[in-house]
Amino acid sequence: MNKYVEKIIEYAKRLVEEGINDDKACISLKTTHGYMYATKEGVELKNIDENSVEKIDLATAEGEYRLHATIYAAKEDVNAICHVHPKWVAPVAKAGATIPTVLDDMAQIVGPKCKTAQNDIASIIKNLKGCNSCLIKDDGCITTGRSLDEAYTCVLVLDKAAHCFVSSAVIGKNVTINIFEAKLMQFIYKKKYSKANQENLQVSEEE
Amino acid sequence: MAWTKEEELRLRQVIKDSGVNLLKENLVQGTWGNTAARLDEDHMLVTPTGLDYITLTPEDMPVVQISDPSIWSDGKKPTSERKIHAAIMAARPEINATIHSHPVYCSILASARIELPVMSAEMEKLVGGPARVGAYGLPGTKALKKGTVAAMEGRNACFMANHGVFCAGKDMDEAFEIIRIMEKSSYEYIKQMTLKATGQKTYSDELLFDYFVSKFSK
Repeated sequence: MNKYVEKIIEYAKRLVEEGINDDKACISLKTTHGYMYATKEGVELKNIDENSVEKIDLATAEGEYRLHATIYAAKEDVNAICHVHPKWVAPVAKAGATIPTVLDDMAQIVGPKCKTAQNDIASIIKNLKGCNSCLIKDDGCITTGRSLDEAYTCVLVLDKAAHCFVSSAVIGKNVTINIFEAKLMQFIYKKKYSKANQENLQVSEEE
Repeated sequence: MAWTKEEELRLRQVIKDSGVNLLKENLVQGTWGNTAARLDEDHMLVTPTGLDYITLTPEDMPVVQISDPSIWSDGKKPTSERKIHAAIMAARPEINATIHSHPVYCSILASARIELPVMSAEMEKLVGGPARVGAYGLPGTKALKKGTVAAMEGRNACFMANHGVFCAGKDMDEAFEIIRIMEKSSYEYIKQMTLKATGQKTYSDELLFDYFVSKFSK
């Protein structure tokens, strides 16, 4: 089994362990040669094996794969994408709301805010600007990363932020971190603390 | 060095196990927290920065000077939050173990900056009163340390605004009892407040979803 397929299976299992078992998910990992490996449509994350992952030419990708290919083309530092439907993201995506910076780790890993895009590629690309993730109206969320580990961590942090946002909104108030401090944390995380991209580079070299 | 090698080895394992137990008990979400255990009045072992609890080994834990946490030896680079662990241990000689983490219900109250009232006799005994919210500060800064130390006065736990929770015990077992009661009490309080806000009698996640969507849809 090649390293890309291995990584995708590993992280699909980790998502399931975190309670995200999705039959509409698509996880992809970009290669260094104009292709990506991605999970096939309609396969539940818990059932993903090497037969559920295929190699796609980024230039001719269609449907869900075209969305991933367009994100890779628009954001050069993105090497991995998760399109999943976590529990607490659902009500925010349904409401079409924006999650403000409710937690430090959201600012670092997701970005200063996470907006809900319309369910079309142009809107998704627009709402990923300056952010590693966006929600999609009634269709979960897209998270991106320099590695699959970053995109996976982004799913967990985003779902926790969504839970905080929903609960806080209902029980009384959301107190958000100011935008300057949020952007500073995002910058520091990218530059200093995240070594996850190294892991991805290693995968590329082993191809 | 005022501690034995045997004691150091034991505490290295305690720190390693504390990280794994935070994960097992779902008391850390998304990103890692950090823990510390006192070696003597001026030294503590802490978790290193940026490493996950599963791959971490007991030998990875650095020894940090409590009176000047910029000084450390052995192990890997210590967590940037070591200054908070050190400040609490310096101010309170009875504290020998500290935990900083981001469990979900504690994170909700921390993000809403809502003080947690005493929810049970167990919470009163373990925490020492209502859990305050420390003033906001960026991670690793003096402002965060100052806010956390002030909110911990006379308490064994507090929230860190928009960040997480900090707990301190006479040993790691007690620090774990404290973080467990903080998470449990936060859940109970959020449940009560949700029922009050929605006017319903039975709590469920679906109630929260529906109420949120009905109130906040664009």
